[in-house]
Amino acid sequence: MTMAAVELNCVTKSFGDVQVIKGVSLAIRKGEFVSLLGPSGCGKTTLLRMIAGLEKVTTGSIIIGGTNSTRLPPERRDIAMVFQSYALLPHLTVRENVMFPLRMRRLGRKDEQQRRVDEVLEMVQLGHLANRRPRELSGGQQQRVAVARAVVSRPQVLLLDEPLSNLDARLRESMQEELIQLHRQTGLTTVFVTHDQEEALSLSDRVVLLNEGRIEQEGAPTDLYSAPATPFSASFMGSSNLLDVQIEAAKGAPCATLAPGSALPLEPGCAAAGPATITFRQEDVQLLPADAEEGILATVETRLFLGSRIRYVITAGAHRFRCLASPGHSFAAGQAIRVRIPPGRIRVIGRTLA
Amino acid sequence: MASHREDWAIAAPGLLLLLLAFLVPVGSILALGVRTEGGEFTPAYVIRFLTEPYYLGISWRTIKLSVVITLVCALVGFPFAYIMARVGPRLRLWLVILITLPLMTSVVVRTFGWMVLLGRGGLVPDIMRSLGLVRRNYTLMHTEVAIVVGMVQILFPFMVLSILGVILRMDPRLEEAARVMGCTFLQSVRRVVLPVATPGIVAGSLLVFTLSASYFITPSLLGGARLPVLAGSIYETATRTQDWPFAAAQSLILFTAVLLLLFPYIRLTRKAGG
Ligand SMILES: Nc1ncnc2c1ncn2[C@@H]1O[C@H](COP(=O)(O)OP(=O)(O)OP(=O)(O)O)[C@@H](O)[C@H]1O
Ligand SMILES: [Mg+2]
Repeated sequence: MTMAAVELNCVTKSFGDVQVIKGVSLAIRKGEFVSLLGPSGCGKTTLLRMIAGLEKVTTGSIIIGGTNSTRLPPERRDIAMVFQSYALLPHLTVRENVMFPLRMRRLGRKDEQQRRVDEVLEMVQLGHLANRRPRELSGGQQQRVAVARAVVSRPQVLLLDEPLSNLDARLRESMQEELIQLHRQTGLTTVFVTHDQEEALSLSDRVVLLNEGRIEQEGAPTDLYSAPATPFSASFMGSSNLLDVQIEAAKGAPCATLAPGSALPLEPGCAAAGPATITFRQEDVQLLPADAEEGILATVETRLFLGSRIRYVITAGAHRFRCLASPGHSFAAGQAIRVRIPPGRIRVIGRTLA
Repeated sequence: MASHREDWAIAAPGLLLLLLAFLVPVGSILALGVRTEGGEFTPAYVIRFLTEPYYLGISWRTIKLSVVITLVCALVGFPFAYIMARVGPRLRLWLVILITLPLMTSVVVRTFGWMVLLGRGGLVPDIMRSLGLVRRNYTLMHTEVAIVVGMVQILFPFMVLSILGVILRMDPRLEEAARVMGCTFLQSVRRVVLPVATPGIVAGSLLVFTLSASYFITPSLLGGARLPVLAGSIYETATRTQDWPFAAAQSLILFTAVLLLLFPYIRLTRKAGG
């Protein structure tokens, strides 16, 4: 059995009477990059802070590097954390900030510490700003100092709480690339909190989707993206459509009936007849002219030009869904069209609860 | 450039008021100290003050007491302000009320209170006697300790409130970051909170020092005639001997000393302000 770098066993957390983490078990392998993804308020930060020791665990246990750390204070855990607000010490220079964990944890001799700090500052390309104070840096530079300060002590686990959310879109993309690079160089076990599914999908080895204090689904990014297991996963993984339909298994191949006379064909044997929820991705919806041979009749409700793509909101009977199309063919708002979705791209994700 | 002129325009009414209500009266009093009756310049009063051992003794006591009072306020005020900043907002409100409430009663009344507590047969000597620390008939009245105790009580809120303001503005994540980087709780207070709160401590110390150097009611009542301080001496000179020019000269010296203290302070805050 290989030892996990971090292991959460049935961890719960209550603030007063309110339970915000409702039993989370998770094993993170050494060197793995795991994202905690979920909507605002689902408990991502709370979970991360419990791993860091900044929040007491109500029940359950947390094991870091084989040591039961459930009751250890933060300074006795071998971790490092990047805060959303960076939390750089304002009275220290960049170099002193990066040196701080080495000094406090008494890691290595003074000259070794110096060398390591220089090394890490080079890695994040901040060598030339080493003697500035945090307030004399841009947001992106501060962010890099925070990352440098976290990796310098080579902790068992690196925790990041939405470290990129204060950056503008372009900077965020380049920082994402740098983080991947950094993870490859250092091989640190990383737990990354975000509410941005694209960020989670592009950065991580594994995505853990949280919903109201529970793990909704976990898996490799491609699995989560292409095979959401629940309606929540499907809708949260973004750009997915969810429709409550009636499955009819007439004449062999089943189909999903949106309205009388308008049914989407499904793959044979994928669901039994009855009410159900289907999901399909925006980019899998194909729009055809109204006089086409196949597809169901629908109407364009709105049309949004996004640059590389066009987003349509389509109505078919009482149903609405979104479609992401390349700008090649164009339909106007209000226009009648036909819609086709490849049967293999539609997933039936259980009975509707309603 | 234009913005500079606008700054001045905005500040002008305030500056004018300051000029009329503060600088003119204070200036004319201070001028009294360096002028003969005929209106010519003379350093005679200042020289008299600086050469008489009695007045030098008073100055030394004033400085010594002010330093001790400031130190006690800072040493007790910092942990107190830190605790106030870290408790919930309700309890904090109550604590703020608790420490500012004394400000709403007259200083004279509070000082009389201390006289009762510290005097012969008062609560404090009684307790000390029952602990076997002192003999009967022991009194704390007319000692420098009494002055320090009375003054600390009066000036404590100024110190606490100016430190509290800085700590409340500080990002609480800084302490958590320090903990995650290997600091124990006390180390995080010492290495993060203390440096970040320094401007507040300096501002509070300045307030407490200048106020205690220029207070006279409490030191006079608690210290008595044998332990005069500069402000008390100014008051005595002006009211009892009615030697106005000499009282003005003493004020000038107190004023200058406080001003001299301000310059390093401005330097310090400018450095802290980056
Ligand atoms: N100190 C606290 N006291 C009481 N409730 C808290 C406390 N901290 C968090 N909560 C509650 O716990 C829940 C989870 O909060 P948490 O900060 O972990 O969410 P999150 O997933 O990080 O959200 P976001 O994406 O907005 O940062 C929320 O409902 C929040 O109101
Ligand atoms: Mg959060």
